[in-house]
Amino acid sequence: MSTEACVDPAALSDILSRYPAAEPSLIQVLQDVHRAYNYLPCDVLVKVAEALDVPLAKVFSVGTFYKAFSLVPQGRTIVRVCTGTACHIRGAGQLLEELERQLDIKAGETTKDMGFTIKTVNCVGACAMAPVVIVGEKYHGAAKPAKVGKMLGQGGGHEN
Amino acid sequence: MSTRQLTANSRQSTAHPKTVTMTIDGKAVRVSEGASVLDAARQAGVHIPTLCHHEALEAWGGCRLCVVDVTRQGWDGWCKLVVSCMYAAEDGLIVLTDTDRVKLTRKVVLDLLLARCPETPLIQELASRHGIDRTSYQANPEPTDCILCGLCTRVCDHIGVSAISTVDRGIGKQVAPPFHQAPPDCIGCLACAEICPTSCIPYETSDTRRVIWEKSFEMVRCPQCGRAHITQEQARHYAGRGGVPASYFDTCDACKRRQLASTFTKLQVVQGGAR
Amino acid sequence: MRIDSRAAYESFRDEAKAGLAARKKEVLVCCGTGCLANGSAGVAEAFGKELAARGLSVEVGTFTKKTGCHGFCERGPLVVVQPEGILYTQVKPRDVAEICDKTIANGEVIPRLLYKNPADKKKVERYGDVPFYKHQTRIAMRNIGKIDPTDLGDAIAHEAYAGLVRALTELTPEQVIKEVETAGLRGRGGAGFVTARKWKSCRAAHGDRKFVLCNGDEGDPGAFKDRSIMEGDPHSVLEGMVIGAFAVGAHEGFIYVRDEYPLAVVNLTIAMEQARKAGLLGTNILGTGFDFDLRISRGGGAFVCGESSALMRSIEGKVGEPRQKYVHATDKGLFDLPTVLNNVETWADVGAILHRGGAWFASLGTAKSKGTKAFSLVGKVKNTGLIELPMGMTLRQIVYDIGGGILGDRPFKAVQTGGPSGGCVPESLLDLPVDFEKLTEAGSMMGSGGMIVMDDRTCMVDVARYFLKFLSEESCGKCVPCREGLHQMLVMFDALVAGKGSPGDLERIEELAAGMQLGSLCELGKSAPNPVVSTLRYFRPEYEAHIHAQTCPAGMCRDLTAYEIVPEGCDGCHLCFKACPTEAITGEVKKTHLILQEKCISCGACYDVCPTQSIRFFPKHERTVA
Repeated sequence: MSTEACVDPAALSDILSRYPAAEPSLIQVLQDVHRAYNYLPCDVLVKVAEALDVPLAKVFSVGTFYKAFSLVPQGRTIVRVCTGTACHIRGAGQLLEELERQLDIKAGETTKDMGFTIKTVNCVGACAMAPVVIVGEKYHGAAKPAKVGKMLGQGGGHEN
Repeated sequence: MSTRQLTANSRQSTAHPKTVTMTIDGKAVRVSEGASVLDAARQAGVHIPTLCHHEALEAWGGCRLCVVDVTRQGWDGWCKLVVSCMYAAEDGLIVLTDTDRVKLTRKVVLDLLLARCPETPLIQELASRHGIDRTSYQANPEPTDCILCGLCTRVCDHIGVSAISTVDRGIGKQVAPPFHQAPPDCIGCLACAEICPTSCIPYETSDTRRVIWEKSFEMVRCPQCGRAHITQEQARHYAGRGGVPASYFDTCDACKRRQLASTFTKLQVVQGGAR
Repeated sequence: MRIDSRAAYESFRDEAKAGLAARKKEVLVCCGTGCLANGSAGVAEAFGKELAARGLSVEVGTFTKKTGCHGFCERGPLVVVQPEGILYTQVKPRDVAEICDKTIANGEVIPRLLYKNPADKKKVERYGDVPFYKHQTRIAMRNIGKIDPTDLGDAIAHEAYAGLVRALTELTPEQVIKEVETAGLRGRGGAGFVTARKWKSCRAAHGDRKFVLCNGDEGDPGAFKDRSIMEGDPHSVLEGMVIGAFAVGAHEGFIYVRDEYPLAVVNLTIAMEQARKAGLLGTNILGTGFDFDLRISRGGGAFVCGESSALMRSIEGKVGEPRQKYVHATDKGLFDLPTVLNNVETWADVGAILHRGGAWFASLGTAKSKGTKAFSLVGKVKNTGLIELPMGMTLRQIVYDIGGGILGDRPFKAVQTGGPSGGCVPESLLDLPVDFEKLTEAGSMMGSGGMIVMDDRTCMVDVARYFLKFLSEESCGKCVPCREGLHQMLVMFDALVAGKGSPGDLERIEELAAGMQLGSLCELGKSAPNPVVSTLRYFRPEYEAHIHAQTCPAGMCRDLTAYEIVPEGCDGCHLCFKACPTEAITGEVKKTHLILQEKCISCGACYDVCPTQSIRFFPKHERTVA
């Protein structure tokens, strides 16, 4: 139904084999799909709908409802800025601005070279170390705008 | 009908569904068990406004316009604000449809909907009936007619098609086909467009073609009258569900009825002749 | 091996205890999310290497254990040396060799790594003497920080599953419910519904197929106690759930975990596998013939899924839209079957209650709120972290005795509790004993235990706007009052913080808040106006300042605030120059600095770093741009 770049079908059949083929598996399957492909590709969703016998419209509805899912390709490194209350009052806003400035994108966007995507998260539960930024898998506690450049450097994959 | 008769009747006919008796704004009303407060109010002739309700579909409780206060004798004047479309009618329930809380809730809901749909006649009219001529909030800079009552997606589910759904959430929520493209599952039955209270789902239909959700359908023409009465996808869908061949739907309903009537007339003539 | 009887459990436990007692030294390295972020994995690894290099191995009774969260996350990575109980904070891998040589080999304490109490500047040696821990009583978090969450034997040596053994081998389901009733346990997820009543209804509900669910969708920003329990002592959650399933007659269950908590999923999965192998989960539990099994359902990132009916829809694989609940979940819940749903902390309490008795639990707490409650104490407080206290402690004790007071000794302004459904409690109520009723009376709520401390630099209008923004992003969009109401409320607050409010705004806000509280479908929408209503109740003058004087008294709303350097105080340390993100500060080292107003974006970074407090803020409309 759409022309998307090479999507490896093996990963999908491996994911589908782990769950019962029914609607309650939908969110779990989409989680794994998102992890494997870094987003929810159109073609894959069509196949998921068929395999789980769930109407495609429902799959699309679920895929757009939950914040964990993206329908467009994500950057190689996801930068998550926690905007929980503790982080908010300890300056998450300034951090986010600095990240947006350095990467020249807004939250929710991806850099042109597909290096980074900035996302905001509503509390990662590391409030005692607020404000928190997660670059890829690495957590940075008590993050300061001045350290943003260094954090991105460690995340790797971006040449700017 | 006296009270005694009521009791006698209900005891007599155990095969019939049980009934419950309650009052709405002081009027006593008896409805069968399982009915909603809204059903009871309609039976009693008490008007309760609704936007997301439809008799053919399960109650949903999204528009919140049909709120009423309910209480009972033993509740010491304590009231509970509920949506009448989903609250079950109960024996001895006292329903109040005109309390301050009910009025405030309806006013806020309509005020908010008028901000969302400032140009929609149905909403303008309803709001005006509740004393709101201009919204107190920021009017939508991109006016829409969709009030997100969910009737279209729910009727589509009900028919067993589920071609459209709500997508996204919160204020960004909208009704759309998958990937905002022509929905592969749509059968072109127009149920969504016809149930929409603000008629905001556009479609075109002619003798040869029907277009809805940017999907185009071939029409089936009735071999008798030549009218284009159903899409091929509809015929196939109904046939699958009803266990009959799709050709069963070639003839339109009107002609089928005419056929049946004429068979029946012939039968009477034959019988009359024999007598 | 399978533990198939009471006797088998006891001998397994005694053996595990003896094993622990034989350990001469134990190094506990906190590996909760907080400490991991501070590099505790590297510290644990270094211990392994350094100890091995010194011949201090398992054979000679020296163990390194990766534990769950100790709670004192701000000071991480934390290391405790047992049996002495010496607490080292902010340990780096390079400190490990010294700890091995001095503390472990010779019992010598390293003062440099000890915690310094900010109140009296004294160093504290022992874990239990640190004020942060001294005032706590831990039930739900009883084993966190003590055990290796991935080791069933270690958990059982600390009495895990003792409550389950008692429930299944000594009591009937009715007696189990009775015990929970005696304990006076109320739901720790926020609303405080009586747990035993919920269980009774579900037990009485018709049908053979019932579900027991655990709500691990701790969505309140600022709360992380459930995360720590699932990560640090997953067995306590499993134990509680098996007991609950036995009490209500359920054989299937789900743990719904937030997508943002990957480590909780890993540790729960390991614990479930171990419990199944040991016969504590699955078929024929403890050889009693009782079957119950569990699955994990990972959430997709939606705050509304903490609401019970939305959570159930999400487990069913659907969009997390709540349903009107005129029929209780105990009759018609997951897949429309009878269901009991409790919060992580509630489940963790259940095992302890069955082990030590309902009366013991009820002896703690206040008249209507029994037992202890876990909180995450965060925000502008010195000691941030995770705490558990008996109900009824005052906010003052929590903020000052445990939290050590406000960062930088600034004035206290408010504590926000209950997350987006809660409210802000002002200074005048600092002596409020914390329990379900008292917080509700104060216009806030318990919620999932987030306590966010705010100082005078926190603008209450901005805080209310923050929660509105949060909720408007999280509203599912099903009902009109919540979807449209939050959007319009946010529009009004955006104007307020920009100084574009108008007289009459507060009345419009109050009417809309009332309509949303009355009309919304679920608790998310009904409670959404709470942060607005509570801040209006206690901080109305601050709102009025924004509307009538276009000023932000806290100096946080950027459109209303400007900064300048007070020349008399500036010693030219240059820190503000380095902190400024827009190069709006000029000046050389040791000379008075200057803020260029036209370049300044009023972020306040300079104000926060100035060691001599020589930067002041003032209303932007009084500014004269050169």
